[in-house]
Parts: sequence; structure tokens; C-alpha cells
Amino acid sequence: MTAAVASRPVSDTADRLLWTAGIAAGASLPHWPTLPVWVPVLLCLSIAWRLAGAMFRWPLPNMAARVALAILSFGAVLAQYRTINGLQAGTALLVVMVALKFLESRTSRDQMVLIIIAYFLLFASLLVDRGVPMVLYLLGFVWFTTVGLLQLGRRGPLLANLDTAKRAGRLLLQALPIMLVLFIFFPRLPGPLWGIPGATSSARSGLTDSMSPGDLTELGLSDEVAFRVEFFGRPPGPDRLYWRGPVLAKFNGRTWSTDGPGMRPGMVDLLEFRGEPINYRVMLEPHDRHWVFALDMPAEWTDDRNIVMESRYQLVRFPRSIRSRFDYEVTSYPEYRTHDELTDRLREYYLRLPADSNPRSRALAEQWRRETTSSREIIDKALAIFRTELFFYTLTPPPLGAHTADEFLFQTREGFCEHYSSAFTILMRAAGIPARVVTGYQGGELNPLGEYYIVYQSNAHAWTEVWLEDEGWIRVDPTAAVAPDRISSGLSGRSLAGEQIRRGTLDNFPWLRQVLLAWDAANTSWHAFVIGYGPNLQRALLERLGISRPHWTKLAILAVATVALVSALLAFYLRWASHAKRPRDRATALFARFCRKVERAHVRPRAPTEGPLDFGTRAAAALPTAATQIDAITRAYLRTRYEPAPGLEPLERLRTLVRTFKAAPTR
Amino acid sequence: MLAAPQLWLRSSAASWAQRRQGQDSLAVTLEKRRIYILPTRFGLAFGCTIFAMLLGALNYGSSLGFALTFLLAGLGIVIMRHCHNNLRDLHVRFIGAQPAFAGGAAVFRFALHNDARSDRFEITLAPAGEESDSQDIPAEQTRTFTLTVPSGERGLLLLGRFSVATRYPGNLFRAWTWMHMRATCVIYPRPAPRGRPLPNDAGGEGQLGSLEHGDADFIGLRAAVPGDPPQRIAWKAFARNDELMVKQFSAGAQQARMLSWDSLANLETEERLAQLTRWCLDAAERNLSVGLALPDRVVPVGRGLKHLHECLRALALFEDPAE
Repeated sequence: MTAAVASRPVSDTADRLLWTAGIAAGASLPHWPTLPVWVPVLLCLSIAWRLAGAMFRWPLPNMAARVALAILSFGAVLAQYRTINGLQAGTALLVVMVALKFLESRTSRDQMVLIIIAYFLLFASLLVDRGVPMVLYLLGFVWFTTVGLLQLGRRGPLLANLDTAKRAGRLLLQALPIMLVLFIFFPRLPGPLWGIPGATSSARSGLTDSMSPGDLTELGLSDEVAFRVEFFGRPPGPDRLYWRGPVLAKFNGRTWSTDGPGMRPGMVDLLEFRGEPINYRVMLEPHDRHWVFALDMPAEWTDDRNIVMESRYQLVRFPRSIRSRFDYEVTSYPEYRTHDELTDRLREYYLRLPADSNPRSRALAEQWRRETTSSREIIDKALAIFRTELFFYTLTPPPLGAHTADEFLFQTREGFCEHYSSAFTILMRAAGIPARVVTGYQGGELNPLGEYYIVYQSNAHAWTEVWLEDEGWIRVDPTAAVAPDRISSGLSGRSLAGEQIRRGTLDNFPWLRQVLLAWDAANTSWHAFVIGYGPNLQRALLERLGISRPHWTKLAILAVATVALVSALLAFYLRWASHAKRPRDRATALFARFCRKVERAHVRPRAPTEGPLDFGTRAAAALPTAATQIDAITRAYLRTRYEPAPGLEPLERLRTLVRTFKAAPTR
Repeated sequence: MLAAPQLWLRSSAASWAQRRQGQDSLAVTLEKRRIYILPTRFGLAFGCTIFAMLLGALNYGSSLGFALTFLLAGLGIVIMRHCHNNLRDLHVRFIGAQPAFAGGAAVFRFALHNDARSDRFEITLAPAGEESDSQDIPAEQTRTFTLTVPSGERGLLLLGRFSVATRYPGNLFRAWTWMHMRATCVIYPRPAPRGRPLPNDAGGEGQLGSLEHGDADFIGLRAAVPGDPPQRIAWKAFARNDELMVKQFSAGAQQARMLSWDSLANLETEERLAQLTRWCLDAAERNLSVGLALPDRVVPVGRGLKHLHECLRALALFEDPAE
């Protein structure tokens, strides 16, 4: 019996069909760009055919044709992705299912299945795209789908769309508190439940594990954001903003590279920190590498984010590379001293140069070494070259040949930070001073609207670290000797050694830059507080609420209890909203107003059992000055109540009388 | 295959509800404690989808995924409340039932009054375990619902358990209440096939009882109406009951006939009743005045629709078939 009713063909077919078509198309729309072309095409054809079938009574494909189509399209999805597991293949499969289901949607149950798939498709696009506009679209469409749920879930004829839209909006608004409670309290897990299948590892810009001439130049022109930083306290000056990234120690004559992370626990114990600490939070854009950037020199960091310090004092995250926005907090000390021992083997490693490369530079460095025994003096001599000779800092340097340092130091003399640090490190090694190249970012742009710094890919920088007896590793930035502006201003937009670094056309439109900064600020708060709401933020928030170190069962109980409470409150509200007393008609309301006026003149309030005539008599006795008016009001009221077919006249009279009535207080 | 345990579960749940709620009067306001609510099959599918979303959000660590999951979970809870509220405080009143013939369909009529300020949607009223078409009841309005059940045998049909239910909004939940009203419908005997003529048309077996006992046989009393001859007022009865009654006599065959139980001696009880029903209908069709003489009751001679129903009712309730 139940089944027979549920699967009966619906009567207002056209409206229902249009609703279903709208939901099927709108829910899958965000996925269209990432799907193979034939999937949206199949969906559109299916919708068109079904609608045409309803309008012009075209024949719809029969059972056999539908099954064949289903097998064919599932096979095509399988062939395309080689799997049906994973977000993209699963999404494609869902959209194909929507298309096929739509073709045969006849019953109310078919339509409800479509609605469930639509909700799931909306969910799937939230896993991929998290920009604000997309979220707004999805939110709107959740509403739309909910209107469809109310309409298509009806057995009777559809209600007015506008009324139902309002009702659906109210339902969603009432669901909002429950959503917030669950969002805040539902226990968040630090890692995934199982491997994320098929996550795309597309090429992303950013630092790599090697540096050849010209590599950083590309980054230098990139407007992409590397990460954002929020300082807790006064931000340090730009000359201290050295964001340490991969350390490169291996040199093959042209390319500096890292030989993979050397894990050594307890590296941080070899550091001695002085001065004021800097506390900050970094919101790192995904770069699909393991590096985590921090100011020279990190001392403490968020301990549950799988961040470790590697043997060259760079922070890395293991075991997974950073594929989604990654937040972490760090405490750094700009003043530090390293205490690691340089064994003979390591010393030899940091002095190694290819035998037949850069003969002129090596000769120069060996000459310095013969002149003095002090490493400090050698460093100063090398920096003096950059400072006194005519070197140009440019993003468009001429190409270099086999002996990169020789050509750069003695011929072209035009380069970017990578040229300077590379040449400087070669000079140091040739002079017998252990040295290595450190890459990372330098500086950052303050976004005044959000009170945070944006570090762009164009802030990419390379400098040198040398090891001195009794001093450990110290940072030397040869670029600073050539283009001090580059360091002190943090690159943003500035003329560097006479050359303008152009960031697209933005610098020509300051107001556009303001708009973009505002947008970035909004987006950043959104990312930091909504998208970035994970185990860390949850703990911080709960601690602020006085719940410290909660076990997940406690959180779950808290969430369930709060939801139950909210739901019970909702029940109260609904009952109140539908049953709250209100005066049923104008006359009653007017007389009630009159009664209140009389009561304000210190007359005992009208008892529930007291008739209007009795009350009028009592009020007239208590307020003799207003007796005639009271009498008139009572009579007018009684006329509206008891006169057969009173019309509007007594009501109008009552209205004017009550409005003008003034009860002069006794005494 | 699932039907048997499902039916058993349903009937035991329903009888538990009856023990819990007790017998209902003929006008009931649906209170909170008697409204039950369970997810529909679609609601269960919706719940499973939300669970799948939760797993997905956990796995991808996606905050917005969580947000949508929780929004939909919240929507489910809100819809459950609305569905419950859609029935709560609804007034259900039994209006009456149109008598029916055995073997036909009995129609019970109910007035459902919504005194809330908000509309109610998709209310159904159906025998327990069945579905029916739904009606919307706007704020502060009343709608009439009918319940059609097979009439069964003649007698007083007692309406069994029925349910008032709703699936609005969204068909995620079904809220319902079981009603146990003592609503009854009189079921007239199924009339015998046409054919046997009215008694005095043919003489023979269809003798009118009155003829056997003389011309003016006293056959009963009826309420007096203006215009009755005073000599026929039953003064003794008036002294007893303070009600003016008129003595009725089976007069001559031409004016009125008595349809008598005894005249059909060669038939079984139900067959006699069926035949008498047929005669009553035939007489009404031809607008003849008839009376009805049953062993336990006599319906005075009369005519008209009201009189017809009185006769049929007497036939329906003859010897109280329910006991």
C-alpha cells in the first residue's frame, strides 16, 4: 500500500521536472570544468531529452537503452580515471548517475534520490574549491536544493515557490545554530582517516631543492603568495625578516642543491638564543614540498603538526608534503649562536668545489687567504668587492656560461640574489671558510587592513651561511651589500639599483592595489578562521572557553548535549510562534488598549470575569472627570460586539474614542 | 518477505500505544506525548548521506565540508521539529458517519481544526498502516477528512485504529498519532435481490401481519404531531411519560402495510432481514407508508426518508449482531 502510493506518477509533472532539472544542473555546475567534457554534455542532453519528452511527448529511451547507456558511461568513467575511487572519479560517476537518473525520473522517489545526490555533489565541490565566491554560490544552491526538497517531498500539489523559498530559508536559519555548535565542538582529527585518493599533485610555484642561475628570477616576477604571517606583538624590522627555507650545500659547478633532509633529533639544543623572542603564526600556501618557513632562527613551534628541525636548522613537515593550506605557530630569536661541531668530514663537505670550475675566483680567494688568517677579514674583502665595484641588481641578468662565478664576478656583474649568494659562497669555500647557500624569502608586505604580512613568491631570496671558529654558522647576505634597499624595504615595489621591479601593472593603479589588499584581508580571515578551523584552533578556542585539553569523547558528549538543547529550544520556539496569543480582532485590541489606559490612572485592573459594562461602570465611578468618555467607549465596544451586522461605523467610532481618551489620574 | 515481521512489529507497537494513550473521546487535541515520529526511508538515506559526508570531511580535514555536513544535519533536526509541530495541537473531531449497506463502504467524517497561527501541511488521515491523500490546513481553519472503510456485516461498525500523520516538510520524517475513537457507523443489511413483491401486492406468502388479527389492530405508539385526531392519543402513556403519543393501528391494507418478520417464516434470520430491507427500499421508492414488525421492535407505519432510515436502522441492529 505504502509503496503503491509512493511510486504513483506525480500529477504536476512539469513543475516537478523543472525543479529537478534546475537542481541537477546547478549542483553539478561547479564540477563541470574539472570533468571530462562528455560528462556535462551527457547531463545536458539527458535534461533536454527529458524536458522535450515531457513537452512534446517524445519517446524516452526504454529500459534496455537506459541499461546500455549506464554500462557505457560507467565504463567510460572507469577508462578515464582507471578507478572509481577518489574524488574526481567519484564526482564524475555521481554526475553520470544524475544524468541517467534524470532520464528516468518519473516518481517522487526518483526525484528525492536526485536531491540527495545533489547535496553530495555540493559537498564534493567544497572539498576542492574553497574560495569565497564559490562558497557563496554553494550556500545559495544549498538553499535552492532545500526548496526543491520541500516541494518535491510533497505528495499533494506544489505550493507557491516564493512561500516555500521563505520557508526553506527559515529552516536553514534555524539549522544554523546547530551547525555552529557542531562546527565548533565536533572533535577534529589532525590526520586523515585513510589515504586521500587521487589528490592532484599539480606543479606549484615556489622554492625547489636546487638553485641554478635564473631559477629565482622566475619567482621574482611572480605575484603569487607564498605565505602570510601574523605577528603576536610588534613585528620585527624588515632587515630581520629572513624566512629560512631549504639549505643548499652541494655544488656541481652550476647548480646548488640539497642532498635531502638529514634528520638529526635535538638540533634545536645546539642553538643558543639571546634577545627578544618573536612570536607569530604562518599560514603557508600549499607548495607540495616538505619545507616549513620560519624566521632565522626558530626556537619553538606548534608541536603537533609533525614539524621537525632538520640538521641544517630548517623546519620540515613529515611524512606528508604540504598540499593544503598549513597553519603553524613559531617562536624565533633573531639573535642566536649555533654550537654544532664541524667534524673533519663535514668541514671537507662544506669546502668542496668542483676541481676545474671558476679558476679566477678561486685564485682570488686563495690570494686573500695568503694575505690574512682572519676569516672575518676575508668576508669583508669579498663583500667589499660587491660594494665598491659596479655591480647591478637586476631581474633580467645576461645568461652565464660554464664558470658562473667567474663570469658574474669579472664580466657581467649583473644579477639577482642567487648570483650574489652563489658567487659569494664559492669565494668563501675557495678561501677555506665552510659555507653554504640558504634559500627562503626575505621581507614581506604589510596588509594594513588585516594587520598581517603577505610574503609573495617574488620575495624569494638566497643568502649565504659561513661557519666561523668560535662563532658557529653566521648569516652573510651579499645582496644586501649591493642593494641594501632590497633588504630594508622588503622588495615591495621598489627601485633596486636603478631598476624597477614590475609586479604586473598593479603599481600603476594604487586604488586597485588597495582593493586587492582588502580582498586579500577578507580572504585571509576566511581562510584563517573558517577553513583553517582544525584541531589547533579548536583547542585554542576551547581553552578560551575554559575547556582545556579535552578528550574527544568529552567533546562529542558536549556537542550532542548542546545540539539536544538547541533542538529543544527550537521546539519551544515553534510552539510559541504558532500559538502565541494575539488579539483576534481590532475591537478587542482597542478595548484592551482602553483598559490599559484606565489602569495607568491607578484603577484596579479589569478582572478576567468582569464584563466590559461592569468595568466601564467601575472606571467611570473611579474617574468621574472622564465618565462620559468611558461610557461612550463602553457603549461603542458593546455595539461592535452585540449589534447585529454592526458594519464599520462603531469600530471607527471606538478607534477615535480610544485614541483621544485621556484618563486624568485621580489626584 | 519482510511483511510478516513488519506487520507484527507495527501491530504490537500500536497496541502498546493504545495501552499507553487509552481510549480517545470523539474530540481530541493532539498532545505532545501521543505524537510519534520516525525517519522515513528517504530520511534514512539522507542520514546515511550526512554520515558519508562526515567521513569525507574528516578524511580531507575540510572545514567547509564539516560546515555543510553540520548544516544538513541541523536541517534534519529542524525538519524533525517542524514535522512534529505540524501535528501538535491539531484538533481532531469525529463529525459522523453516513450509514451504509453491508458489503459497501462506510465513510467516517472528521473535522481537523488548526487553531495555530501557522499553516499545517500534508496532513493525512488513514486507517492504521495505510496511506491516503493529504490536505493542507491553513491557519485558523478547519478541513474535513473522510475515512472510507469496508462496511463488513450489518450492525454497528466500530471504527478501528486509524492514524493522523504528516511527512511535511521534506518527507524526511513521518510524524503520526494513533487514534482510538469509539466512532461508529450503522451498517444496514445487504438488501435481497429485487423480485419478491411487497406483501399486499401479491397476497400469498407476503401477508401483512395486521390482516391476520382483524382490521384495527393496535401495533404501537408514535410521537404525536399537530393534526392527530384526539381520540387516538394514548392518555395512559401521557400520564406515565408526560409525552403525547398516538396509538397506531394497522389500518386497512390500502392505507398502510405492516412488513412483518413472521410473514417470512420459511427464511433464515439474515435472509429475512435482507428481504425486509429490500421491501423497505421498494416501499420508499414508491412512497408507500409501511411499518415494520420485528420480534424485538416495532417501527410504526410511516413514510419519508427519515422513516426509511429508522426502519433500516432497526433491521441493522436486530438482535445486536455485534454480541
